[in-house]
Amino acid sequence: MRPATLEFLKQRFAEYYRTCYLSPPSSLEQREWGFIFLDASTDVRMRRHMAFSDQRELVDYVRNMVPAHVYYSSAYYRTPAAPTMNDKGWCGADLIFDLDADHIMRGPYAAMLARVKEEAEKLIGMLTDELGFSRRDLSVVFSGGRGYHVHVREIAVRGWSSQERREIVDYVRGTGIDPAVMLAPAGGTPPAGWRRRYLDALREHLMWLRGLERDEAKAHISVLKGVGEKSAANFLDSLDRFIADLRAYRTDDIWRDRTVRAIAAAEIEFENRVRDLGARADEPVTTDIKRLIRMPGSLHGGSGMRVVPLGAGDLAAFDPLVDAVVFGERDVKVEMKAEMTTSLCGNTYALKKGITTVPEALAVFVCCRNVAEIAGEAADGS
Amino acid sequence: MVGVHHRIDPVKYPFLEESQQIVRKQIDSIEHFLSGFEGREALERAKERVIDALTHRGEFFQEDIPKLLPRIPPERELASYALARILVSCIGDRLLIERLCRYEAQRSVFLLQNEDGRSFPEIRNYIAEKLNIDLEKDDMPVVMYVELISQMRDGRWRLVNRDVRDGRVRLRPEETIDLLRERIRVVLHQKMPLRVPPALCDRIAPIADEIAASYQQQLLEQFGAVEEEAFPPCIGGLIHAITAGTNLPHMARFAITAFLHTIGMSTTEIAEIYARAPDFDPEKTMYQVEHISGRGGTEYTPPSCATMRTFGLCTNRDRLCERVNHPLSYYRIKKSDKKKQR
Repeated sequence: MRPATLEFLKQRFAEYYRTCYLSPPSSLEQREWGFIFLDASTDVRMRRHMAFSDQRELVDYVRNMVPAHVYYSSAYYRTPAAPTMNDKGWCGADLIFDLDADHIMRGPYAAMLARVKEEAEKLIGMLTDELGFSRRDLSVVFSGGRGYHVHVREIAVRGWSSQERREIVDYVRGTGIDPAVMLAPAGGTPPAGWRRRYLDALREHLMWLRGLERDEAKAHISVLKGVGEKSAANFLDSLDRFIADLRAYRTDDIWRDRTVRAIAAAEIEFENRVRDLGARADEPVTTDIKRLIRMPGSLHGGSGMRVVPLGAGDLAAFDPLVDAVVFGERDVKVEMKAEMTTSLCGNTYALKKGITTVPEALAVFVCCRNVAEIAGEAADGS
Repeated sequence: MVGVHHRIDPVKYPFLEESQQIVRKQIDSIEHFLSGFEGREALERAKERVIDALTHRGEFFQEDIPKLLPRIPPERELASYALARILVSCIGDRLLIERLCRYEAQRSVFLLQNEDGRSFPEIRNYIAEKLNIDLEKDDMPVVMYVELISQMRDGRWRLVNRDVRDGRVRLRPEETIDLLRERIRVVLHQKMPLRVPPALCDRIAPIADEIAASYQQQLLEQFGAVEEEAFPPCIGGLIHAITAGTNLPHMARFAITAFLHTIGMSTTEIAEIYARAPDFDPEKTMYQVEHISGRGGTEYTPPSCATMRTFGLCTNRDRLCERVNHPLSYYRIKKSDKKKQR
């Protein structure tokens, strides 16, 4: 990064932090803080093991140092500033989830953001409707990059170790599903949660198989372990009945069928179908009880966008490419290192390699992503 | 109706607060107690408890009852429960502590199941209530459920395999006994290891040493000579990757080292495995291996299957993997299977 670019970003970030209201996390004094700075020449990449006794101190620090990234611990510590994890005295941690589009798909930024938002909706649905966490204790945060974080501040789960947290993240992801449990006949109430999702996925899968040419379908299932010529034929003959049964969530006949069991045990397309019904939260983040997480309200140094705290109900209307943009529209001259197409604040920009004039917000974005430098004399008037 | 707690035999449920009250009323100085005949008898019984916890496998049967309820005065039997916990705390071995807690939970629940039909549900609910869980309904809150089952191995307990709605998990009536056993185990484990005054540990050191020796012997029998053919596929795969010169992430190195250390390989032997890599750096390797093997003071246990999965290290799963939750269990089972085949 050229000095002019660094200076430009520092000034923009400084201006943001001078005027914004930084809402501190609960129990601020028990959190560990970590910062990464714009100036890469500093000796350590991240300055961590820091603590602040109140909001004033924190805000002063951020305004003076103008960090590129601001993190705090999901954990609460007796001595958050202690230099080693053992000395900090862990007393609990929020339950957090990280949804990162990088782990889900590749593609244009806007498409990734849209896809990861769907994951966030699924996650919130499961956390509230099924697991019973209160929407009030939930905060959803746009990460400023390619994803969302969900913080659960329910006091009852603060003391949980990784093991208990793993139960929850496995649940939302659908990890460790036992097909025998899902397919076992269960009388009475219609299924809920994973059993329902699983049987729905199976029904869709069988409908897909029914849509194939018979030979094609047969070829598809007869590669599965334990499926012979005869059981494949039987299965294909029973498809209509199975699909009707699944519509009513009846599994008495289905679970005895060899082919169905083989599909449930090993078929990759079906596995993907089931997995798509889960929310792809990053497992290690949730099970790590000493994680640093981005501070809501701070800026993401890799995009210049705001880390935006949202209520669980605000997600639907939220558009990160508009609502997480904090900088203005005045013209700034940048030199693109490569061509790039992106949208911001409702406009789409096709940027060619070389010098071009763009709105300030876009200049911050491309400089933060390291695809551009400020061109020549700073055009931002500073 | 007389309150249910009057019908509870304290020696069957020694972990209940009122059972421990009885001991406390009888004994005002442990030092004094241990020097007398009664104390010696209680200590002997405590040793029996721990040894039994070490050797006992599987379920209890009717014929085990005399062993579980020996004919000694209740206060001595109750004291032996506490002394057993003190003994394993002095020895300080994590696995030994776990064994004892599991054993005591299993013992009490087995005795509970042998109560008469009328007392059974009452006593069960009474104990559950004392341990802060509610087994009277056919469901329980998610948070309580997760805390209860997070260490249970069988896949059917995983939250993902349960009927979960509106923040509650459905339970089948026959499951309550398993849940109670687990709850007792967890509660017994919570305060362990006990903080025992060094003087008391010294006092019972001869018995503790006997137990430690028998435990050591058992471990040696269990793991014995290292057999690379019995390694679980994940560990085998990682070693293969080292040999091929792949640059492994930290977690992978940690998993191999901790695994090999736990099954009894020396640091030098472990370093030899790493030496198969083309870019072997002896000094760095020895440092890492020694650190993970506990020279820094902390001895690390190898990651479970769940953790291996989380880090993408659970590879080439085979049928035996379905039956275990820990690479060490895989190794143990595979090894003993191989022994049987010979």
